[in-house]
Amino acid sequence: MTPGLNHYLVVSALLFSLGLFGVLARRNLIVIYMSLELMLNA
Amino acid sequence: MPVLTDLLFYAFAGLALLFGFLCVANPFSRNPVTSAMFLVLTIVSLAGLFILLHAFFLAAVQVLVYAGAVMVLFLFVIMLMDLRQSEERQIRILTIGTGALTVAAIAGILIRAVIAAKPLTVSPSLAGETKALGRLLFTQYLLPFEVMSLLLLVAMVGVILLSKKEIE
Repeated sequence: MTPGLNHYLVVSALLFSLGLFGVLARRNLIVIYMSLELMLNA
Repeated sequence: MPVLTDLLFYAFAGLALLFGFLCVANPFSRNPVTSAMFLVLTIVSLAGLFILLHAFFLAAVQVLVYAGAVMVLFLFVIMLMDLRQSEERQIRILTIGTGALTVAAIAGILIRAVIAAKPLTVSPSLAGETKALGRLLFTQYLLPFEVMSLLLLVAMVGVILLSKKEIE
């Protein structure tokens, strides 16, 4: 299936939610900052 | 016969998601350096996706600046600060589970919004991207561009000032 705009947006949404999980679940401050970077990348 | 670019999209997207997951939730190591390494790999996979979208300048800048400078800076901070490993607080399954459930719900809402939106007939790809980006940056977005450079200057001056005070 040729990837259209929707596919890219879905990947972006999943990366955003992964970053959000990292911000909420990790206790190490540096890892929280890195998860925030992941959200921004998404 | 699936086209190579389609396969490459799924490959890069899958790798980006896998490395992103390993960055935030590594089951084997709580070391922040491991997370940083996986974030670098995620950034490089995203650069691959940028290339598939014909955004070549953005992909190059992403690898050079994001993976090459920002993440190196992250690693400097991690190694210089000598953080202890995360405390031996036991990982409460209930807390992590609730968090994961909430995040899954948010992801579900986002994905359903994306799928239900009106279909766009334009395929996502740019032509002559670097020229168009340069043109936009110097005409329509000139003020934000200058404001960003001012912001970087303020950050640099602040860092020099702060580091100077600590020596004395």
